[in-house]
Order: sequence, then C-alpha cells, then structure tokens
Amino acid sequence: MNTNILILLKRFIPLGIFSVLILGCERDLDDLNPVTYPANPEVFIDGFSAGLNYSAFGGSVPTAFDVDNKETYNNSKASMRIEVPDANDPRGAYAGGVYFTEVPRDLSGFNALTFYAKASQSATIDLVGFGNDPGASKYQATVSGLGVTTGWRKYIIPLPDPSKLTAERGMFFYSVGNEDGKGFTFWIDELKYENLGTIAHPQYNMLNGEDQVETSVIGVSKTIGGLTLIYNLPTGINQVVNAAPAYFEFTSSDESIATVDAFGKVSVIGGPGNAEITAQVGGKVVNGSLKIQSMGAFQHAPTPARDPDRVISIFSEAYDNVIVDYYNGYWAPYQTTLSADFEVNGDRILHYTDFNFVGTQISPPYVNATSMTHLHLDIYIPNTLSANAQFRVELADNAGGGTGLFTTTIPVAQSQQWISLNIPLTGFTGLSSRTALWQIIFVDVSGNISSFYADNIYFYDGSPPTAPATAAPTPTHAAADVIAVYSDAYSVIPGTNLNPGWGQATVVSGILIQENNTLKYSGLNYQGIELGSSQNVSGMEYLHLDFWTANSTALNIYLISPGPVETGYSLTVPTSGWTSIDIPLSSFTPVNLNDVIQIKFDGNGDIYLDNIYFRKN
Amino acid sequence: MKTINKLREIRIRYIFLLFLIAFIGCERDDFQKLDQRNWQLVWSDEFNDPAGVLPDASKWTFDIGTGQSGWGNQELQYYTNNPANVSTDGEGNLVITAIRSGNSFTSARIKTQGLFARKYGRFEARLKTPYGPGLWPAFWMLGENIETNPWPQCGEIDIMELRGQEPHIIHGTIHGPGYSGGNPVTKSYALINSRFDIDYHIYAVEWDENKIDFFVDDYLYHRIKRSDVPGEWVYDQPFFIILNVAVGGNYVGFPTSQTPFPQKMIIDYVRVYTEQ
Repeated sequence: MNTNILILLKRFIPLGIFSVLILGCERDLDDLNPVTYPANPEVFIDGFSAGLNYSAFGGSVPTAFDVDNKETYNNSKASMRIEVPDANDPRGAYAGGVYFTEVPRDLSGFNALTFYAKASQSATIDLVGFGNDPGASKYQATVSGLGVTTGWRKYIIPLPDPSKLTAERGMFFYSVGNEDGKGFTFWIDELKYENLGTIAHPQYNMLNGEDQVETSVIGVSKTIGGLTLIYNLPTGINQVVNAAPAYFEFTSSDESIATVDAFGKVSVIGGPGNAEITAQVGGKVVNGSLKIQSMGAFQHAPTPARDPDRVISIFSEAYDNVIVDYYNGYWAPYQTTLSADFEVNGDRILHYTDFNFVGTQISPPYVNATSMTHLHLDIYIPNTLSANAQFRVELADNAGGGTGLFTTTIPVAQSQQWISLNIPLTGFTGLSSRTALWQIIFVDVSGNISSFYADNIYFYDGSPPTAPATAAPTPTHAAADVIAVYSDAYSVIPGTNLNPGWGQATVVSGILIQENNTLKYSGLNYQGIELGSSQNVSGMEYLHLDFWTANSTALNIYLISPGPVETGYSLTVPTSGWTSIDIPLSSFTPVNLNDVIQIKFDGNGDIYLDNIYFRKN
Repeated sequence: MKTINKLREIRIRYIFLLFLIAFIGCERDDFQKLDQRNWQLVWSDEFNDPAGVLPDASKWTFDIGTGQSGWGNQELQYYTNNPANVSTDGEGNLVITAIRSGNSFTSARIKTQGLFARKYGRFEARLKTPYGPGLWPAFWMLGENIETNPWPQCGEIDIMELRGQEPHIIHGTIHGPGYSGGNPVTKSYALINSRFDIDYHIYAVEWDENKIDFFVDDYLYHRIKRSDVPGEWVYDQPFFIILNVAVGGNYVGFPTSQTPFPQKMIIDYVRVYTEQ
C-alpha cells in the first residue's frame, strides 16, 4: 500500500512543479499600477485604526470625546463616547470634532460610511459627516438631524460619487448641541466604510431638485445651494446627504450671459438673454436647474443730490442710513412677499418678490421726521404691468401718531423704468404726528405688482432755504484791476457807510457764512451804500456783484453821481443759489463814471450781498 | 496478482475523482439535485406594446376600486384601469404604478380570471419590485372555482410578495382551508447584500399533483409537498394569475410620510409552461 501511494506522489509532484515553472512568476513592468492609497475601511471598531488623529472644533468642549470600554456594541472592546454639554457650560458650547488620518485613504471602492449609535436619551445628532480634513475639505458630505435612541441602531451615510474619494483624510466628524438646554451622552461603534448592496436609487439634486427661474442683471452673483444626494436606505426610506460643490460639474448653456464656477457661483456677465445652469455628478444628470433671465446692464436709480444735512436716510448708498431691524419682516401668516436683494457694483438694491405687502422696521430711537417735509422713494417694476397699478405706502408712528396712508397710481407705461416718488409727509392720511416713525410699509393694492426693486428711501426737508448755505464764490480778479466796495478778498474803499439813514424800511446786518462776511438786507424797499470817497471808475469795465435771494420778486442796483444822477440795472430774482454778475458800466449812462459817490438797491424781499466791486480785464 | 489489479482499479478511480473535482468544481446547483424538466411554453405576455397602452384585453382584466374592506386586508389603494396606474412603457415592460395624492392612493390589479387559467406547470414572471414602507407588490394565483368555492377553499398560491420596508426579502406562500390568512404555509427568501427593487429577478412556481416548488432566479427555496399541507390540498384545479401593487394593509403596515411616491413594479414578462 505505502509503496503504491509513494508511486502516486512521485507521479504528481514533478507535474506540479513543472506547471508552476511554465506558468511562471515573472512580473511584467506593464502590470505595475500607479501608486494608490490604502483602501482601509475601518475607522473605529475595537479602537481607532492606525494613523487616525482627533481634533476638537473651536468653541466645543475639548474633552467631549473619549473611548468607552463598557458601553459597546455587541460586546466589542471599546466604543466612542461623546458627552454633549449643557447650555452655558463654561468649557464649551457644544461637542464637535473631526477624526482624520495622516496618510490619505482610497475610499472609491465603498459607497457608505456606517456606524452603530445609541444615546442616554432620545436625541438628535445635529450634524455628522466625512471629508472634513481639516483643510480644504473639498469632498465634505454631511447628514443633519440624525435621531438616536437608547438602543443600538445602525446608521448609514451614503457617499456621494465615491470615484472622487481616492485620497481622503477626513474620515468622520460630528457637531452636536444640547437638547432644550440639557446635555446628553451618545456612543458610536463599528464606524467603518462599506460597499452596501442594500442602498439603492441614488439621485443628485441642485437647488433641492427645483427648476428655478430668476430675473437678473449684469454684475449680480449667486451661489447655487441645495446640493444633495438622496439614497434609499435598506428600510425603504430615503436619506438626504448634503454634498460639497466639488462633486458637481456645473454648466452654463450660454457663457456670454452667465458663467458658473467650480463652487457653483453663478455670475451674470451679459444680457439681455437667458442662460440655464445645470449640473452633473460623475456624468449623471442632476435634478434641478437655474434659468437666468438677464435683463442686461443694470440701470441704477438716479443718485440722490440732496444736502445730507437735510436728509434722514433709511436705505441709500448716498447717505448714512439709520439702523433698521429689517427691510422685510416676513409677517406671517398673510405676507407672501419674499426678498431677493442684490448688489451691482457696490450699489445695493432691495428686491421684493411674490409681493402683497412688506414692511421695513426702524430700530429705536426711531425717526423724528417733524422737520422733514417729504419721503423719497425710487421704485422699479421689472415686469410689464398688466394694467395700471395702485401702490400704497404706509408710515407708522410709534408715539401715538397713528399710521398714515398714501396711495399712488403707477401707469403701465412706467413699467421697467425707475420711478421717483417724492411724497409730502402731509399727504399721508391718518398720520397725526411723526416724532417716532418706525415702520414703512408697501402694499400691492391692485394686486398686479408681482415684484419690484426699491432704492433711495429717505426723508428730506424740501422747504426752500431762507439763507445761503454756502458763502459767495471767492473772487479771482487781480487786486490791481479792482476797486472794491464790499468783499473779504480785497481792500475796500475806506470809510464806506453800508447803512446810511435814507428813511428806508430795510434792516441791514453783516453776517458770517462759512467764515465769510456777507451783507444781509431784510425786508428791502430801498437801501443805499455811501462810498467813503468819490470814485473814478471810468477806467473800469464792469460792476461786479454776488447776490442771493429766495423770496425777492424785484431787485435793481443803481450807480449815483452828484446831482444826483442815478441809473438802475434790473437783476433777475429770485436766485437759485448765488448769482454772480458783471454789469457793463455802459449800462449806467448818463451817470458820471468819473465821480461815483453812492450805490443804491431797491425792490423787495430778503437779499444777501457779497463781492461788490468795480473791475477791468 | 489479483490484489495488485484491485489496487490499480482503486488508484484509477481516485485519479479520476481528482480530475473531476479539479476541473468541474463545486457549483451550488449540484447540491439541489433537481429533476430534469422539458418545459413547453403555453401562454405568455411579453408586454411589448408601445408606451402608454393598457394590458392586452384578451389576456387581462381589472379589479377596480377598494373591494370589500380594502380587498379583505384593509388596503388603502383604489385600483383603477387608468394607464397612469398600469400600462406598457414601450421598452418591453408592463409598469404598475402606485400613486399618492394627498392621503389617498391609486394603483392597479390585473388578472387572467375568465381568460386564462391552468392546472399544473411552471408559472414565472421577470420583474423589478417597488420599495418603501407600506408598499406590497404581489405576483400570485387563485383557484378558478373561487366564484363557487369562496376563499380560502379555492386555494391561493403567492409566487412572490414583498413588504416595501424590507426590499431585500420576498415570500412564497400558499393559502388553503385551515391554513390561511395569518397562518398560511410560507417561506422567505432574502438577498444578503442586495435588494429586489434594484434589478429584475425571475419568480416562479413549478406545480404538479404532488408538490409546489418556489424559485427565485431558478434557485429552489421552498418545496411544499402534498403531504406537507396542514389541511386539504386544493391544488388540482386550474388557477388564474394576478399581478398588483397594494398600499398599506394588514400584511405590510401603513406607508409613512417618508415613503417615496410614486412607486413602480416593472414586469418584463409572464410565462406559463407545461411539462412535455
């Protein structure tokens, strides 16, 4: 028997060795693969897998995480224990940290991160995920609001497009806050990456799967959100995973209208025209899209030019604005108005959509608009009105002044252009005082304004000024060419009497405006100036004068030579700011220009005068 | 001399076995020891109509409405003959779709009652199941004499049923007098790392006067012999075929707000064979 077996063996062993020699063990250089990282799926089983670091997030309790040898899943040696702090715990506001490796791992062969978890009470794990390195965290993915119970349950976080995860360092991270002010403890075990055949039907979304349409203008940017992966879990329900933009390839259908970058930031650069932004993940079409309807270059509202000292501004780039609580109160349940404010080249614009009514609320101490005369508002309706629209503005006073209403009709022809409204505050019916204005409310009365832009919302004092705000312009003529009667810029004729008693009703005063001496005639009927000595102005060409009046309807200036011989010259009143005039001396014939002794004014109103002088050249 | 020859014989046999094991290997089928069959196709529907067409009226009729008490099971759906609930998809499939609108559901239940029934043979369908809590698809048969011998006396053979919250498990069952409703003769078949809604699988019974065999993808997971039945064997008459997707009810429980809708059962074909 034994010899027979030996013979059998003798026959087969050489055969075996021979075949090994033939089939060979040569390594072909073409078979060498490029270096890949280890595909180790384990994060925490009975302990951490080698090379794993932990770092607590800033503001969290640094010692929240520890290893637990008692509360483990399925009697394993150890689990991860995380203690979430109570509110107001001085050590930190929440529990959060990241587990990351030194050497990157190749996770492309897996499709889910899984773990078992339980807690000391029913609670919500606010955020878990992977891909936080901590560094660029390019492929981060998160799940929000996982419900944990007091019994061990398995949790599955599907991976978006694992083909991109060939070099991942961020294995797992968490961020958990207290429940109604109270902290709690939870445990995690068997944390690992798996390739599950029991999750199915992956769908990727941008904008949460919605097809959105947005009207926009050149210079506006918007980042696409709602980037998710939805996977069906083994229990038949869906799990939503929030995915970083790096998983998505965004495309614009017309890059001359709008471009989109790798982070999903859409920039409108052209128009009018349309561009549709879509996306793919690993070649698969993503649900959802953004259609940009660009109107082209943005037409800004007219820049306000009012004196800032006479303005109380609520919303404008031209003025300092008062502090507001909000420009849209989202007043539930009846308000439908949403906000889509945007900024074009530094000019911020309020944009209300789905408009029915909306309110701006000013913060204490509110606006005392007693000395203001008007509310200014620029509005722009981007869609053509179907019919004339009724637009109402309401002002509410917080100190018993009630609420005032003002309604205006916007004709169809004023669609798609800036409309400047200057509403007299007395026009707000029902507003009995305005010492503490706190709400400005817009209402779509006719129901056909679906959206509009608003800018330059401010109160202003539009009453006419009664005195110049600025001094008369400083003269520039050479002193040698001038004989000055009244001016800070020249030496004047000595001994001139600016207020001789000629029985006039006029009240004369000298005032300072911006440090400049200015002559004021209040209630002019007539008024004289007696020159300190007779002047020979025959070598001069003009009589120069700067004058300012808001309420005069007649004003004449006379030169007088002995006799008396006087000739007047009519001045245009009232003025808009300072008027500077050079009157040719030939206008005063037959006054003897060799012997001018007086200047006289007559007319009415309140007159401001400066820089009265004869000049040549 | 005789002894040496005998040893040689043994040696040759062993070498032969060695070769067999080395080259033929260990396939799972080898352990099922199934009898060889010679099947001949007697009835089928390949569902090759263009998209949006109702199932062939010469082969299928509809159960409409909610039946009695949700078809006897507290099911929630209202069955229709609306193409939105049942129609071909133009790619060789019939699609039965369960649709939710608000808190009510529609779906479809089609049957060959009055048009086709057969005693014994192989009954198979290749299909993909729907999924989600509260979804209850089924491919099953009822005895032809149900009008005169009400259920469970007529007999019921459930070739495939699935509970949507366990999309990786199907069940093969028979109901008869004394073993029906809550205590039928049933067995489950589960996929270890997959689900039945991801891909087509072939569900079949092979049935003769002595037994009913249940298959998934030609793997026999349940054999019910005539002598195994804990009551009367009522399977010696023709049975007709039913396909449906139910929503909710005593067998599966209720759909939740997290159940994704609409849900589809996608059927490539139904084929019936007789033994030659």
